[in-house]
Amino acid sequence: MKIEINDLRFTYPTGLEALQGISLTIEAGEQVAIVGQNGAGKTTLVRHFNGLLQPSSGSVLIGEWDTKKHSVAKLASRVGYVFQNPDEQLFSKDVGTEIRFGPRNLGYSKEKIDELVTRALSLTELSDKTDTNPYDLSPTWRKMAALASVIAMDTPIVIFDEPTTGQDAVNVARIANVIAELRKEGKTVITITHDIDFCAENFDRVIALSNGKILLDGSARDVLGQEEILAQTYVDPPQLTRLGKRLGLKETVRNQDEFLKALK
Amino acid sequence: MALVNLQNVTYKYPLTKTPALQNINLQIKEGEFVAVVGANGAGKSTLCYTLAGFAPHFFKGEMSGSIEVAGKESSKSTLDEWVLNVGLAFQNPFNQISGAKYTVFEEIAFGLENIGVPRDEMKDRVNDALALTGITDLADRSPYSLSGGQQQRVALTSILVMQPKLLVLDEPTSQMDPIGTREVFSVIRKMAEGGMTVVMVEHKMEWIAQFADRVIALKDGSILLEGKPGEVLTSDVLAENGFGISRYTSTAREAKKQGLWKKEKLPVTLDEAVEGFKK
Amino acid sequence: MHERLSFHIKRDSVLHRLNPLTKLTLVLALIMVAFTSPWYWTPHLLFLFVIIPLSFIGKVFREFFFAATRLILPAAGFLFLMQAFFQPIGEHVIFKFYFLDITQESLMFAFKNAMRVIVMVSSFTLFLLTTHPSELMSDLTRRGLPGQFAYVIISTLQILPQIQSKSQTIISAQRSRGLDTEGNFFKRAGSLVPLVGPLVFGSLVEVEERAIAIEARGFTSKSIKTSLYEIADTSFEKIIRWGLIIIIILSIVLNIWL
Repeated sequence: MKIEINDLRFTYPTGLEALQGISLTIEAGEQVAIVGQNGAGKTTLVRHFNGLLQPSSGSVLIGEWDTKKHSVAKLASRVGYVFQNPDEQLFSKDVGTEIRFGPRNLGYSKEKIDELVTRALSLTELSDKTDTNPYDLSPTWRKMAALASVIAMDTPIVIFDEPTTGQDAVNVARIANVIAELRKEGKTVITITHDIDFCAENFDRVIALSNGKILLDGSARDVLGQEEILAQTYVDPPQLTRLGKRLGLKETVRNQDEFLKALK
Repeated sequence: MALVNLQNVTYKYPLTKTPALQNINLQIKEGEFVAVVGANGAGKSTLCYTLAGFAPHFFKGEMSGSIEVAGKESSKSTLDEWVLNVGLAFQNPFNQISGAKYTVFEEIAFGLENIGVPRDEMKDRVNDALALTGITDLADRSPYSLSGGQQQRVALTSILVMQPKLLVLDEPTSQMDPIGTREVFSVIRKMAEGGMTVVMVEHKMEWIAQFADRVIALKDGSILLEGKPGEVLTSDVLAENGFGISRYTSTAREAKKQGLWKKEKLPVTLDEAVEGFKK
Repeated sequence: MHERLSFHIKRDSVLHRLNPLTKLTLVLALIMVAFTSPWYWTPHLLFLFVIIPLSFIGKVFREFFFAATRLILPAAGFLFLMQAFFQPIGEHVIFKFYFLDITQESLMFAFKNAMRVIVMVSSFTLFLLTTHPSELMSDLTRRGLPGQFAYVIISTLQILPQIQSKSQTIISAQRSRGLDTEGNFFKRAGSLVPLVGPLVFGSLVEVEERAIAIEARGFTSKSIKTSLYEIADTSFEKIIRWGLIIIIILSIVLNIWL
């Protein structure tokens, strides 16, 4: 499902102009990372994708739906959104019920819900914790439960806001795996992240925001190589990209495979 | 003499079966910058709370062994005395805002008011601290109106301004942008060089490697490895135990297998990686 | 994104510069005199010739006017009508409405009471507009109010906007999961569960973490606390305060006497 954003502007009631004319198109099945300094407008932008925020001017189209004309609850059938803090989301008595909440709201049949929940549980490696109370889970697993509860909604577009914040290496790998699976299923994944190495290893396209404007938008390789421009929005290129530059490799490398190949 | 001295420290939270820390022995010199790494649940936060006096003084539970900071013994001190020597900032910045202040400037002055610092000195110290962490332009904003990364800087500044002998930081940069993170690491490095002792929990290996003097790797409440960043962070033991490692190290390890990395020692920083890969 | 957590308007005026305790005493005096003065027109005159001019002196007339017309006058108007209709006093009936008589006496009585309430609320509003809560608390702490007590008061003043913004985030998270918060009563009531759970859990975590955070910053330190703000207090103001207290006493005495 295509996302089309046309000259989107947004001003908070305090007068802060958080978005100052954003235009972009995201095709179905793209894996997009949004990066940029604190306060650049990343969260404000993605909250327009499912109608949580309404443009002050300009438009946001999800498929053929204008977000101005559809409720958030309705848009939830197209756009899943995992919030940064799982504590703001989890409320059920057990993990299984928690994950059923979203698909049930969307009115799927019981069979379909069962299937979706089972799949979301196994994808997030939560299958053995179905009956656990979400509040008894460690923060790591609460994060995974929040992920599962949105993935189970089976939306064509999934948004993650800072999925790797405060997570250890093992869990970051788990989250990368979830994103890879969603990619295989042809879903659009949009992720806000400060973890630029995670970004380089898991996303094809990178959008760098700065002060409510698009600073860079393109393939991860093109964007992540632009050290000086990225610095304007407080982002460093990935570790291996910087290493490649220092070694004078001709092309921009993003991950281990590309780096080793370029080195040979 | 060591500023921090932990001897056989074992700690169990109330209502739990297994200890969160087991038989920890640790000495830290004055002015040393020690990074603590480990998986979620390895006991990193508990170690922070122990150093900062909150375990057991605040959480209760069972503590054994001896905890000494700046010549004082934790079991013989009260929390309000202890915090004069040890400062603590932790991950969630929102919950660290006092809730009693209307501007960032007032927020940072809060601790100094509590310990009775005279007004003129207070203003100077707050201004210096704001400049140090680069948030002078936020001074008149409400702490609640800031982004997560900005609030983390406020939380850090609020504790730096107290000038503790030992600064304990539990993932203080988790919500900061990459260059902001690097800036904070270099500020903390500067504090350590000025004589402040720092213990910092972090996942960001590249900056630990570059800025810390020593790394402690925790696993299941015990110290698994300890030593210079270059030794600990390149250890195979770390990789085998699912610790985060920098891309320089992991890539060089792979390159070594393919004969592309010739040196014996693996790199942890960009400079070391450049040095080793250079033809 | 709420920059404003208090009513306070930052301006430079004589009223702003007064010691918070002087202003508090003034508010108390206005209220006490309005309620106890035996002379009928006291509250009316106080409002017209003391409170309104003070709002000009304090350079907050616009904000004061806004609060008065939106909040204070409607409330006082309602009180006036209730009392005018339901106060069974007096014989000079001016107006009959079914079984309710409106007498000249009940009208006068209602007018005075409404004016008293206006004086009370508007003087307090003026106080809040010209006094920063931190200054008030610092001053009261300096005069011996326990620090913990001041903290509780001031953090309570801030808690409402916080809960509001937190609820907003939680509702947003649940709406993103397809929760329909619009529609009939049952739907709305049902949508409370996914809101309250995270709100309560979040608050429990928050209380613990905040306790740690303020403790780490010496909150329970036994040393004598200092204050960032220098709160001016002159002997002249002290005289004013005593003067106001004498006026309060006089008014009470007159009320009992006459």
